[in-house]
Amino acid sequence: MSKKIGLYIYTGDGIKDAVDVDKLVELATGDLGCAVVKTSDDLYSAEGAAMVKADIDSEELNAVALAGVSPRYDFPGFSFPGVYVEKTSLRELVVWSHQIPADAEDADAQKEHVQELAEDYIRMAVTRCQKAELPEPNKMEDANTKILVIGGGVSGMSAALEAAEAGHEVTIVEREAQLGGFAARLRKQIPVGPDYSNMVDPIANELIEKVNANDKITVRTGTEVARLAGVPGAFRVSFKAAGSKSEWDAPVPLTDEEKLDENGNELSAEEQKAKYDAKNEGRHDYMEEDPNAEIHGAVVLASGWKPYQPADDEFPHLAWGNAAVVTNVQFEEMAKAGNITKPDGSPAKNVAFVMSPGGAEDDADFPYASATTSLVALKQAKYVREDYPEDGKAYIFYQHMRTPGQYEYFYKGLQDDPGIFLTKGAVTEVTPGDNGLTVKVEKTILGEDIEVDVDLVVLATGMVPTTKDEAVVNFAYRQGPAFRDLDLMGGYCDSNFICFPYETRRTGVYAAGGVRRSLTIEESLEDAAGAALKAMQCLVAAQEGHAVHPRTWDFDYPDFYFQRCTQCKRCTEECPFGALDDDEKGTPKPNPTRCRRCGTCMGACPERIIGFKDYNIDVVGSMIKSIEVPDDDDDKLRMVCFACENDAYPALDMAAARGASWSPLVRVIPVRCLGSVNVSWIKDAMSSGMDGALLLGCKYGDDYQCHFMKGSELANARMANVAESLNSLGMEPERVKLAQVAIDDYDKVADIINDFVEEVVGMGPNPFKGW
Amino acid sequence: MSELTKVQPDLAFIKGVMEAGGDTVNKCYQCATCSVICPLSTEESPFPRKEMLWAQWGLASKIAGDADVWLCHQCGDCSSYCPRGAQPGDVLGAIRNNAIKYYAEPKALANMLTTTSGVLGTVIAAMVVWLIVGYLWSLHTGESFPFPEGTVAYHKLFTFVPIDLVVLPVVGLVVWASYKGITSFWADINKGLGVVSYTGTTASPALGVLLSRYLVPAVKEILAHTRFNKCGQTAERAKGHKWLLWSFIILFFVTGIVFFINDFVYLLLGLGHFTPMPLYNPIKILANIGAIMMIAGIWMILQMRQQKTEEGTLKSSEQDWILIWLIFSVGATGIGAEFFRLLNLAPVAYTVYIIHLATVVTLFLSLPYTKFAHMLYRTTAYVYEQWRKDVLAGKAGFGMEKEIIPPAETVSKEEE
Repeated sequence: MSKKIGLYIYTGDGIKDAVDVDKLVELATGDLGCAVVKTSDDLYSAEGAAMVKADIDSEELNAVALAGVSPRYDFPGFSFPGVYVEKTSLRELVVWSHQIPADAEDADAQKEHVQELAEDYIRMAVTRCQKAELPEPNKMEDANTKILVIGGGVSGMSAALEAAEAGHEVTIVEREAQLGGFAARLRKQIPVGPDYSNMVDPIANELIEKVNANDKITVRTGTEVARLAGVPGAFRVSFKAAGSKSEWDAPVPLTDEEKLDENGNELSAEEQKAKYDAKNEGRHDYMEEDPNAEIHGAVVLASGWKPYQPADDEFPHLAWGNAAVVTNVQFEEMAKAGNITKPDGSPAKNVAFVMSPGGAEDDADFPYASATTSLVALKQAKYVREDYPEDGKAYIFYQHMRTPGQYEYFYKGLQDDPGIFLTKGAVTEVTPGDNGLTVKVEKTILGEDIEVDVDLVVLATGMVPTTKDEAVVNFAYRQGPAFRDLDLMGGYCDSNFICFPYETRRTGVYAAGGVRRSLTIEESLEDAAGAALKAMQCLVAAQEGHAVHPRTWDFDYPDFYFQRCTQCKRCTEECPFGALDDDEKGTPKPNPTRCRRCGTCMGACPERIIGFKDYNIDVVGSMIKSIEVPDDDDDKLRMVCFACENDAYPALDMAAARGASWSPLVRVIPVRCLGSVNVSWIKDAMSSGMDGALLLGCKYGDDYQCHFMKGSELANARMANVAESLNSLGMEPERVKLAQVAIDDYDKVADIINDFVEEVVGMGPNPFKGW
Repeated sequence: MSELTKVQPDLAFIKGVMEAGGDTVNKCYQCATCSVICPLSTEESPFPRKEMLWAQWGLASKIAGDADVWLCHQCGDCSSYCPRGAQPGDVLGAIRNNAIKYYAEPKALANMLTTTSGVLGTVIAAMVVWLIVGYLWSLHTGESFPFPEGTVAYHKLFTFVPIDLVVLPVVGLVVWASYKGITSFWADINKGLGVVSYTGTTASPALGVLLSRYLVPAVKEILAHTRFNKCGQTAERAKGHKWLLWSFIILFFVTGIVFFINDFVYLLLGLGHFTPMPLYNPIKILANIGAIMMIAGIWMILQMRQQKTEEGTLKSSEQDWILIWLIFSVGATGIGAEFFRLLNLAPVAYTVYIIHLATVVTLFLSLPYTKFAHMLYRTTAYVYEQWRKDVLAGKAGFGMEKEIIPPAETVSKEEE
């Protein structure tokens, strides 16, 4: 569809002083062929919006470009049905970030740079308007609104109640014979509301009653999910008796090792298929549909946690293996069953709680421990005092006593008990003796190294998410039944723990409670409400055809040009959310409601056949090519910077707002995720004579901040290939660089750009410039 | 391998501290605001943070070996600034009260004299004793009992003989108990210092050195109330205390003079009775000044304590009030006895006089057993603090001070 474009240039906030706006108008009306070009120093007002609307109506514009304030600012009135709207930043990316000092000797030359920069942003905006199409949402109007809750503990029951109260039908599937989970097996629990100063009776039974009384909730105890197939809005759930085998068990794909022969060479497709079939004998293919499956729209995963059970040879210095050394879970079982006793059954009146196993060298708590572990130790210390009020003594040796928020009152309340003794310190040794155990603690706040004789030692071990060692949900997905990247994520299933709580790495499945993180019962209740809300939102998103978090405004979805697909499987392998299934040949099968629109598939595709209506290989490639690259001026090198919209781009905005400035040789193009950056764009940039490409993306690795799991990490791997290609062309591989930027790195991002520019300038112009 | 201390919390000790006014001890979470805010805490051995922790952990022996609790004057700054609502000042007060009991011999006396009923009982018992002694003495003198005829003169009821007969055994007991208490306390805190000889004995200063180098400066400081004056929240308390302390000194002095003149000079020279003295007698004038200061001082202390207790700056235990009212009674009956004697109202005067003698004996008896014993232990702690500094600096202990003292004295003189 040919475009009739209106360009509106905002001239306020110093834009008209820094830039020759008339020249921009001339460029747009002339070379760029915009039908309407207007300037305004009050563009983002109701009047401004009315002006644009009037032009759309009178001139029949079908695309509008707003050049001025960063696209991250949303002004009301600028959404026009049927009209593509592009926003580009002159204020942040041109004016604020390129201030020219009044006394600069080369002010004129600098001004020229800024003018060219502004012109390029106008070119890119207009180019995008020309190339981009309006999305047509994939509405799933018949989306099923029933919610499946996996796990019948306090988190699962609460999530079910929340969803039922909001009007949804709910199925709770619980592996055990009764509801309640771990919370029902406690003697006492940490409070779930004021007053926080002491432990309270378990609330699990109350929830069980409520669930049983709710006619919107179906409870299936002694049951597991054999497989979960399909998509959000239409998940196909196959149930089976807990612990049994089923023909509908989800098949498990070959691991990377299994795909190799003895010599380490990759097996042929046929051989792999045979091996896969052997591995999954008796199970239906993942794409096969179970006719008896029950349809659910969304899933709350509340499968909870398992106690961390130390290996037999673990913690020898803490005398693990001695019958008088137990974990906090074993201690809880004992406390629930009766009085606290030594292994021989006599009263255990002196109990030491060890919070950190690392001795003097390492102050880390036990694996999977958290604030909850601290609170549990306080609670269990009180058991000792309950059982032996006269002479019971409980010692808590901690490196970290974590009692966040209201739980400080819990700490205060239990600290008041004269028989609970607390000190920070490194427990270096537990030695069994004739009369129990001796605990040695160094660096205590008592100012000395101490030893204490006790009857029992309790190790404050942590809460391991059930997803760590089990598939739990059993997805019948191309990428396998479990959540991926479990090694990277410590066994957890979150997709971005901080920014998108409850969201797992599988759209439509929302985690709550102990499976999501180590937490208290009170926090589990809150979690359950959060996850239930997310599940409901996901159903609305499926119905309306927009993405779930973080791109909830996005009605677009990836489009595949299958005729050119080579079945290379990169997209199906790399999709962070397992959105893509495939057929026997390996042709991808998209599932739009599973997709989060990050574009990782687009970045991965070597055939460049995947794209979105307003964000694809051609749109961005054309934007790059629209940049004017002088081919005979060594002072005017050109570099493209792909900046991740989620963190890097906001960091640039903030840096500009704070007066940071960076080289005018760089043109910033926002991208959804570095994972969506296709190497063809780098090639486009280099072949159009640009001298370098900088990729700014989120941190990856242990402290990953990527909103789409591994986008920047994938981009980094891809750029290594680009570097090789550059090398083979005789170009410096350093011309392409990836830098990790957190959203609060606004004080560093200008330096990152300037250092890169300096490096490229040092290398000199692209040798292929002007070809 | 570092030396490990075997820790065995004493639950009874913790409960004792909590019951004696330190009920907030467990609220402490070791931020050390108290030690920083305390105007008296020292850099070398800051308090009261460590005492709070030791008390929480029931480390009775640690507390026993800690002289620092006695360097605290309970101004309440720590309690006012505590972010956690703990009252370190009161906890230390409770620890001191318990320490007094701990060092008291025999304990039964301490238990009796620290309760209101016990003290009232003691006063009544003392009155009975005085009456019996008075009656027996009247058989010897032929004066009528209980109210001798003629102008009121208390020697008609008791001369020094029956008085000394009653008081001197009490003095003996008090001196013995005080000595026992101070020496046990000294042994404990010295152990806490960690300076132990190869034979396992702890070092102590020689008597001469003790007096000249440590006791004299300590007493000087106490008389001047140097530390008490630094107390932030309750600095005014120091004033009443100072008046009271000086009144005790004056009254001790005049009692000593009268004892000497009456019991020795007049007896040996056969001059009869030195008392009652005329009002213009300088000794009488001094005694009256002392009595008025006593009443004024204790009144100031009473007011201050009431106010601060209401504000919550400090907590007052039964013991605190007992001591205040006992001292007040001594002062009031003393002045009353004089007043009614001058009015020559025999029945009232002799009755008040008997009560006065009873309260005096009770107060005196309570010296090593009640809060009154702070006089002993705080003075010992002041002495010890100086001694500790010298020991830690290698200037004292195991006879070392003999070589050190002359140069040290020269230095201090030069400085002056």
